[in-house]
Amino acid sequence: MKVAITGVGLWTPHCRSAAAWAAGERSAQEQKPVGIAYDKRNRRRVSALGRAIGDAVEEAMLEAALDPVTTPVIVGSSIGEASTMIGLLDQMWRTKEPMSPAAFSVSVHNAASGMLSISKKNVGFTTSIAADHDTPAAGLIEGIGLVATTGAPVAVVCADEASPRSLLRRAARHWDMLAAAVVLAPADAGRGRATLSLPAVGLAATAGGEVDDTLIANPQVGLLDLVVAVLGGEDRAVALDRGAGRGHGVTLTFGAGR
Amino acid sequence: MAADSKSAPLLVTGYGMLSALGSGRAAHLERLASGTTGLGPSPIPLDFQTAVGAVADELAELPREMLPWSTRLARMSAALLAQIEEPLRRARERWRPERIAVLLGTSTAGAETTERAYRELVRSGDFPGDYDFHRQHTFGAVLHVVRELAGARGPSWMASTACTSSGKTFASARRLLEAGIIDAAIVGGVDTLCAMTLQGFQSLQALDAGPCRPFSAERGGISIGEGGAFALIERQGDPRVLVEGVGETSDAYHISAPHPEGEGARAAMAMAIGQAGCRPSDIDHVNTHGTGTGLNDAAEAKAITAVCGTALPVVSTKAFTGHTLGAAAALEFAFAACAIEEGWIPPALGADPVDPEIGLSIPTAVTRGDFRRVISNSFAFGGNNVSLLVGAP
Repeated sequence: MKVAITGVGLWTPHCRSAAAWAAGERSAQEQKPVGIAYDKRNRRRVSALGRAIGDAVEEAMLEAALDPVTTPVIVGSSIGEASTMIGLLDQMWRTKEPMSPAAFSVSVHNAASGMLSISKKNVGFTTSIAADHDTPAAGLIEGIGLVATTGAPVAVVCADEASPRSLLRRAARHWDMLAAAVVLAPADAGRGRATLSLPAVGLAATAGGEVDDTLIANPQVGLLDLVVAVLGGEDRAVALDRGAGRGHGVTLTFGAGR
Repeated sequence: MAADSKSAPLLVTGYGMLSALGSGRAAHLERLASGTTGLGPSPIPLDFQTAVGAVADELAELPREMLPWSTRLARMSAALLAQIEEPLRRARERWRPERIAVLLGTSTAGAETTERAYRELVRSGDFPGDYDFHRQHTFGAVLHVVRELAGARGPSWMASTACTSSGKTFASARRLLEAGIIDAAIVGGVDTLCAMTLQGFQSLQALDAGPCRPFSAERGGISIGEGGAFALIERQGDPRVLVEGVGETSDAYHISAPHPEGEGARAAMAMAIGQAGCRPSDIDHVNTHGTGTGLNDAAEAKAITAVCGTALPVVSTKAFTGHTLGAAAALEFAFAACAIEEGWIPPALGADPVDPEIGLSIPTAVTRGDFRRVISNSFAFGGNNVSLLVGAP
């Protein structure tokens, strides 16, 4: 079972887009995500994680020339709105303030997908899923299932905010925030950037390419690796986690071999 | 195939449930038939009045090798899995492990464990010795436990779309089966009580001070509960019930309030009916989202009236169990399945006197009948809507 990748997007603290990544542009200073996909009202409310999700998915959907009003979106995240949750825990146990109803409303795992659907006035499908370091594989499998059963494109975006230091022990490996997105579509004759296989465990696959050391432990690095491999343009098998997941991989095919 | 066109039904070969009403189908049927609520005082200390649906049954400890993953959420999941062990054993004989998916839903994940650990961190400066964020907080932790206990090696993820989470898992299973990716799936969801959700809903002024009374003129808001339900879906087998349609829509309206006209809810029900290839008049009963807030009840009533009319019996079971959040869709799927298998639906507990503005048929006593097709609704923060259409085989 194969699908086409018709758009890619990414956001990392030192690279704001897949286009910038392909051009070798890196910012020396750490940047903040803009949240370009949201309307002004929701951009104010959405977390940094949500903004990174919005930036990556907007870039991928623009490349694929999709209508955001009707395109299904799958948001994958391992720990979701952890910073917001820590803020609520602080209100409960540390400062003993009344809980903020606004913060509680956007503490749910699907806050970003919900605010995307509101901003884009998309009354169709959206979901939010999690599977730790297997989230990229899960997002792609859910996406391929959607493409197979509807025949329509779907955007898959995976993102995790920086590791929640206050919930991890000192020895834990930390990571920075990243978001990566792909648009999947039916694998019609030569359409899109590349053809992607169904994620499978046990494929002889390797990481997609060079990414910042501070991103390697991020549970979503597998989707960033896939985007980097798509930008690289070589037929290959790409690992969807860097050793901390169940070992899913995919094959990417370009050009005549598709 | 369009999302709302007729598709093959899901075959449900087993299901189990756990809530404030007890553990297992028989315990639930007894309490539902007798109109006995599971709502009561909160075991979590609170500085406000509310009733909750706490699971009172003792939860068996996980096997020794899984103790680092042992949380209330994981133990509840293990208890639910044990209830479907017999059909699962047959499924393991029939299907390869890598063709059996684990697709579950939760909204809180390990928040109950983390909030206790965080409290200890604030108090003493360190976490409890056995606290492990990766094995006890994350969504993947429970997936690991269920996969290992079930012997399933197929695709697995947690849907977390707040109060529709576990409903989403039926739709995912349908897609993966239809696409030929899997042959069977453990679906459903589980959630635990935690201080954060109780305080959060209190901050929204959404909690009833007593047991919730959905659709009543005297309702005061939501009661939160815990528990869940698991179901086994198979490509072939001897089904107890079918899931003939799953409607998934968004309100695109507000992060925490429903569309006032119930537009997204109406579309989700219509989509489920379209997938089932039946007519709205074929629906015999609706198990509502029915949280007991004025906004939710009114919006859902408009949606049901628009799609199914006002004659069919409509009940919220949240007055029995509380709102089990990410597990609610699965738990209420199980109640819909019971209605079909048993030929009766429970009373709309606490609904009397029914709000005259609702305009639906809300029976306040057990209703007997030949329930062949039942819709179960779930709606969530983010404007996320799921309607399951459960049918007789």
